[in-house]
Amino acid sequence: MSRNSTTDHFVSAEFGPINGGRPVYLTSKSPSVPNLNETFTEDFKKRLSPERAQSQLNTTSVAEESTNVSLIDLYGGEEDDDEELEQAARNSDVPRSSTNSASADSPRRPSVGKDLSEYDRYGFKKHNAHVSQEEYHEWWDEYSRYCIRRKRKWQDLLEKSGLGSDNDVPDRFPPRSEKLKRYVRKGIPAEWRGQAWWHFARGQEKLNKNKGLYDQLLTNFNERNDKSSGRDLEVIERDLHRTFPENIHFQRQPTDNEEPLMIQSLRRVLLAFSVYNPKIGYCQSMNFLAGLLLLFLDEEKTFWMLVIITSRYLPGVHNVNLEGVNVDQGVLMLCVKEYLPEFWHRIVSKQQSRNNEFLYKLPPITLCTASWFMSCFVGIVPIETTLRIWDCLFYEESHILFKVSLSILRICEQELGIARQNHRVLRNKAPSKDDEDIEIFQVLQTVPKKLLDPQNIFDRIIFKRRISLNNLNQEEIDRCRKYVTSQRLKLKNYADIMGNRPSATGGAKRDLTMGPEFVENALSSEVYGFRRSLTAAHWNNSIKEKVRQIRRK
Amino acid sequence: MGNSISKVMVKMFGYREMKILMLGLDNAGKTTILYKLKLNKIKTSAPTVGFNVETVSFRNVKFNMWDVGGQDRLRPLWRHYFPATTALIFVVDSQDMKRLNEAKEELYSIISDKEMEDVVLLVLANKQDLKDAMNPQEVSDYLELKDHLNNQLWCVIGSNALTGQGLVEGLSWITNNTKAKDKK
Repeated sequence: MSRNSTTDHFVSAEFGPINGGRPVYLTSKSPSVPNLNETFTEDFKKRLSPERAQSQLNTTSVAEESTNVSLIDLYGGEEDDDEELEQAARNSDVPRSSTNSASADSPRRPSVGKDLSEYDRYGFKKHNAHVSQEEYHEWWDEYSRYCIRRKRKWQDLLEKSGLGSDNDVPDRFPPRSEKLKRYVRKGIPAEWRGQAWWHFARGQEKLNKNKGLYDQLLTNFNERNDKSSGRDLEVIERDLHRTFPENIHFQRQPTDNEEPLMIQSLRRVLLAFSVYNPKIGYCQSMNFLAGLLLLFLDEEKTFWMLVIITSRYLPGVHNVNLEGVNVDQGVLMLCVKEYLPEFWHRIVSKQQSRNNEFLYKLPPITLCTASWFMSCFVGIVPIETTLRIWDCLFYEESHILFKVSLSILRICEQELGIARQNHRVLRNKAPSKDDEDIEIFQVLQTVPKKLLDPQNIFDRIIFKRRISLNNLNQEEIDRCRKYVTSQRLKLKNYADIMGNRPSATGGAKRDLTMGPEFVENALSSEVYGFRRSLTAAHWNNSIKEKVRQIRRK
Repeated sequence: MGNSISKVMVKMFGYREMKILMLGLDNAGKTTILYKLKLNKIKTSAPTVGFNVETVSFRNVKFNMWDVGGQDRLRPLWRHYFPATTALIFVVDSQDMKRLNEAKEELYSIISDKEMEDVVLLVLANKQDLKDAMNPQEVSDYLELKDHLNNQLWCVIGSNALTGQGLVEGLSWITNNTKAKDKK
């Protein structure tokens, strides 16, 4: 329950740091986690110490007092001795017992009154209602070894590309290639994520063009104090303490007399954004995006990444009129129709499916899937899975979100099949339509929460060689987005002409009074055609790739 | 919901199903109430961007409860998905005086919707455990339900999601007051 924490940080007077002279956030790096190590520990310790406010200003002295800090193994594993599952299939250049090298750069956490073993390396609680302690440990035992192997691979790759450095976190990455893409898909090492995301999303480019803007925005906000910014502030305040309430970095410690640094950073990022882009202002779910970014990047970078996500990857999705959400959900529905035809017929009637009515009156399951997109799966799937999705997002752009959604829906479809059988056995009759709807929603609600192991969707569905999902690339999604946008616009215009305005407040509202004929008249009979690859072409490609590999050798 | 099988079932067994929509300002305690009813557990909850749906059985009634979250600006995403709602549970944070007016506006904007014409309205004056919380009568007076709602059946019940107090009373009130309206 967050009830007692929401009201007491309500006033703008909280913005002490911005008020007096040079803002504090310029000097204090936000307590980001995997880059972390000393900086993070330092920050965390300051939070616990009474002289914190003072030492906050003095962040140049990093990591001087790292005693009495317990060392937590980043990968939690013992020795990386037995079964090298992945390795068996590939060349075996992985050193045994690499845990030692990995733990050297693991995050250190101070001992608080809490049992830290309950929290993972990012400060999230390990187990919850959907994942039991045993399940977690069983999985992590395996996955942590995988992470260590992958990190080794990355180090080799960087060394070969001449980018190896003494510093553990690389500041440069090799140029884009098929190989790099494969590496990203298999997961970026956790402690490099911040840098890698920043690099792949071309954050520095954006920052260089707008040097100093972030500070300026915060100063502006403070001076302006008008009504609309006040409203955003209020809405933001209410969500701050409900962002990752179970993450240790977002919690107030008993010894704290101030709110956690993370919360302060989160507030400033969201406020700066609301000033930067008034068309969006603050939309719920952005707190999760910014919150997760803050665990990996400093404040200013987080801000620019948020700008990049909301403009490049999810254009219009967080806008006040929500048209971007509707377009993306239309695209997703077209994809479901194409890739998961059986599931499609369960969620949409034949009539709706035949003409493009569903692009305007989106099927109810989009209520659920819309939130997947808005928060880029933060809080929807378990954290390690979320991070793997984000790795791909910044390298391969938004089509990955559609691929992930389709894979999750595919798992849901299987789950529903099982549920259906059980239902029949138990009740000995077909379920009613209402029951069926509820069942679909419940499956959609719980299945993602149990996707503890990223491999379950990445290796087994998304990037599996022979699965048609491979054809769904960014180009296809961009084309599809254009198509849906134009179809929705046509319908809206037609409705305007006919005097049957589908919406009073913009395109977001759906009107149920538009009948099928109306839709048919409004929309031309253009049908969206997915680019289907012929089996032969597919085969050809894989041959080409093999030849390329041989040549390289 | 005009499903013929369920009609027969209602006649034969008095077994009913109803769709309940749970709304209210953010941080009123909707998700907490839902999971207290469903699992008898308290979940720390983050802002609900999408929604939660659970079925809760009570006496001979199966409630399909939709807890729809989110800021007011996200409302257009879902507002047209609930045409067949039997009852609306509107959750109010009884301690948050500052936002009571906002809650009032929100309530009336929802109730004035055409789709909501026929629903029965249960207001849960939540967080009664907190000191300074307004009691149900005060909440009811503040919302001026008596003056504004002529056609609708309504009721204000004090609740505490942490202990579950008031929740069962609320559901039984809904059960007792929807017989005539359910399953037209």
